[in-house]
Amino acid sequence: MLPRMDASPHILLIDDDREIRDLLSRFLERHGIRVTGVRDGREARRAWPAGAYHLVILDLMLPGEGGLDLARWLRGISDVPIVMLTAMGEDTDRIAGLELGADDYLPKPFNPRELLARIRAVLRRTTERGPRQAAALRPLRFAGWTLDPARRALLNAQGVEVPLTGGEFDMLLALAERAHQVLTRDMLLDLLRGRQAGPFDRAIDVAISRLRRKLGNGEADPTLIKTVRGGGYVLAAEVERG
Amino acid sequence: MTGPRLWPRSLAGRTALVLLLGLAAVQGLGLVAHAMDRGDMQRLVDGRDFAARLVAAYRTVTAAPPEAWAATAQALDPAVGVTASIAPGVPQEGMDPTPPEVQRNIRPYLNWSSLPQPLRPKETFMRSSGDQSMVVSAHLPDDRWLVMRGGFPPSRPWASPSFIWAWLGMTLAAAALTLWAVRRLTAPVRLLGAAAERLGRDVNAPALPEDGPAEVAVAAAAFNTMAARIRRFVADRTFLLTAIGHDLRTPITRLKLRAEWIDDEEQRRKTLADLDELESMVSATLAFGRDVAGTEPAVPMDLAVLLRTVLDEAADARPGSADLLAYAGPEHLAIQARPVALKRALANLVGNALAYGGSARIVLCPPARGDVTVYVEDAGPGIPPGELDRVFEPFHRLEGSRNRETGGTGLGLPITRNILRAHGGDVTLANLSGGGVRATVTLPG
Repeated sequence: MLPRMDASPHILLIDDDREIRDLLSRFLERHGIRVTGVRDGREARRAWPAGAYHLVILDLMLPGEGGLDLARWLRGISDVPIVMLTAMGEDTDRIAGLELGADDYLPKPFNPRELLARIRAVLRRTTERGPRQAAALRPLRFAGWTLDPARRALLNAQGVEVPLTGGEFDMLLALAERAHQVLTRDMLLDLLRGRQAGPFDRAIDVAISRLRRKLGNGEADPTLIKTVRGGGYVLAAEVERG
Repeated sequence: MTGPRLWPRSLAGRTALVLLLGLAAVQGLGLVAHAMDRGDMQRLVDGRDFAARLVAAYRTVTAAPPEAWAATAQALDPAVGVTASIAPGVPQEGMDPTPPEVQRNIRPYLNWSSLPQPLRPKETFMRSSGDQSMVVSAHLPDDRWLVMRGGFPPSRPWASPSFIWAWLGMTLAAAALTLWAVRRLTAPVRLLGAAAERLGRDVNAPALPEDGPAEVAVAAAAFNTMAARIRRFVADRTFLLTAIGHDLRTPITRLKLRAEWIDDEEQRRKTLADLDELESMVSATLAFGRDVAGTEPAVPMDLAVLLRTVLDEAADARPGSADLLAYAGPEHLAIQARPVALKRALANLVGNALAYGGSARIVLCPPARGDVTVYVEDAGPGIPPGELDRVFEPFHRLEGSRNRETGGTGLGLPITRNILRAHGGDVTLANLSGGGVRATVTLPG
C-alpha cells in the first residue's frame, strides 16, 4: 500500500476552513498529489475507508472533535504518516501531536512550498523506512548524549540542553535513528529543504560542521559523525532507545 | 539640609537621626542639671566644713590665755586647714566682701555655742578674693581681731569622669533602641517599595501581606488593589492581542496559497515576502502576549551553543550574511533558562543588529560576580542617545525605521527585555565609541 515515488500519492486533508481546503488541494494537485479534503473528524472517519491514503494533513485546531483526538484515532487504525498543522509556537500541541505519532508538523500560517517539501520528505522517509516503528518517539542515547524527539531537545551527559537549529536536530535524529548506516547527502538534504533560504550545495557540509562543533569541544570533532568517502555521513556510536 | 553625608537619604536614617539628636540633647541637659545640683550640694558641704574649721581654729586660739593668742594663732595645726593671725583691725586690702550666696553656706554653721559666752566673737566679717581664698575676721573680746585665712576647693561638677561615660552609655543604649524601633517601623515602607519594583518587572508577583499596623495594612491593601487592576489591564490587552493574532492565521494562510496563482514571478515573490512580514508581526504580537504569561519551565541549557544556533539560523534566513556574523567566547556554558523564550530574545537582538547595523558580533563573557554577560554588537550608524532606552517601549520605533528594508514590528526589543527580566536579567543598549550599537545582556549564571 505504500507508494513508489513515481506513483501519484493520495493525501487526506483535514481542515475546517473551506477556502484553505480548496486552495491547498489545487496547489498540491498541481504538483502531482491527489487530495481529498474533509472539514472535521466526522467527515474524516467517513472518508477514511474509501481512500487508501498515503499521508494525512491534519489541522490540530479543529472544531468539535479536536485534532489530537483524531490523530489518536488514526494512529489506532493505521500507520499512515501524519503531518500536523499547529498554532504558532504552541509547543504543548506540537509535543502532544509528536508523542501521538505525527511525523512532522508545520505552524500555521505555513508556506505552501515548505508544506510540499515536508510532504515529499515524509513520503520518501516512510517509503524507505517501511512500517513505522512504535518506539520512534522514545529518547535516543549515544556517547553520553540524549536526543528527545518529543521535546525536540538534545541533552548532554550532565542533562544540560544543547540548543540546535531545526535542520540540525532533524539531521542528528536521522543519523541516530540509523546509527552505523551511511546517510547520503540527498537523504540529509530532504531534512533541510524548505527550512533554508539559501542555495543547497554546501548546506549539508555547513550543517554537519556546525553539529560537530556543538557536540564537540572547540573545533569540529569528526569522530562521532564520520564523513564517508563518496558523499555521506554516519553516526559512529551505539544508540540505545528508551 | 547639609548634603547627603550629614542628612541621611532613608526615612529610617532621618527618623533615627532626629530622635538620636533629640535624645542626646535631652540626656545632656539632664546630666547638666544633675551636675549643677551636685555642685550646689558640694558647696553647701564645703561651707559647713569650712565653718566648722573656723570655729575649731577660733576655739583653739581662745583656749589659750590672751597674751598667748598671737603665738597660738601662729602655731595652729596645719591639719585644721586654716591659718590665723592676730590683727588690731579688720584687713581690708585687696579683698571684696564675700557674696551673700557664699556667706549663706557658711554663716549659719558658725556655731559658737561650744564656747563660753564671754569668749564668743562679738562679730565676724568675711572677705574673699576669687573663689578659693577667704578671710574671716572674728572680733575677739579684747577688741583685737583673729584673722583666719582658708578656703575650699572650687566646685567642679564637670570634672567627674563618669559624666562622659554616663552620657555615652545612655546615648548608645537609646541609639540601639531607636534604630531597632525605626527599622521595624519603616520595614513596611521598604516592603512596599520592593513590591512596587517587583510589580514593574512581573505583573504576576505575589500580593503583599495585609497585616501589621493599621496604616500599613491600608497601604498594602491599596497597593494590592492597584496591582490587581494593572494585572487585569495587562491580561485584557494580552488577550486582545492574542485573539487578533490567532484570527489572522487563517487569512494569512489563504493569501499565501493564493499567491501561488500569481503568474508574475516577481510579484509572487514580493507578495510572499509581504505575507512573511505580516506573519512575523503576528507571531511577535503573540509572543509578546505569551511571554508576559511566561509558562515555559527553566531548565539547564548551554548558552554558548544557543548563541551559535541563533547566529546559524540568522545566517540560514539571510543568504550571504554568514560573513557578517561572528561569535567570540567559550564553546560551552551551562545556565538555567527557558530555552525557547531566551532564543527568541537573543534572536531579536541579532536580527536588529543585522537589520539596522549591517552585522552582528556576539561576545559571551563567562560568569563574573554571579552574572553572565552577552554583548551583541553591530557596526551601524548607532542610535541617538535620547532614544537608547525609549526603543524598549512597545511600538516605539526610531525615525526612518518604518520602511520596507528593515520592517520590524516595534515589539522585538520590548519582548527581549520582558523575557530577560523574567529570567532575572536585563538588556541595555549603548553606542560604541567607534560607531555601532552594543546590546548588553545580563543573565544570572
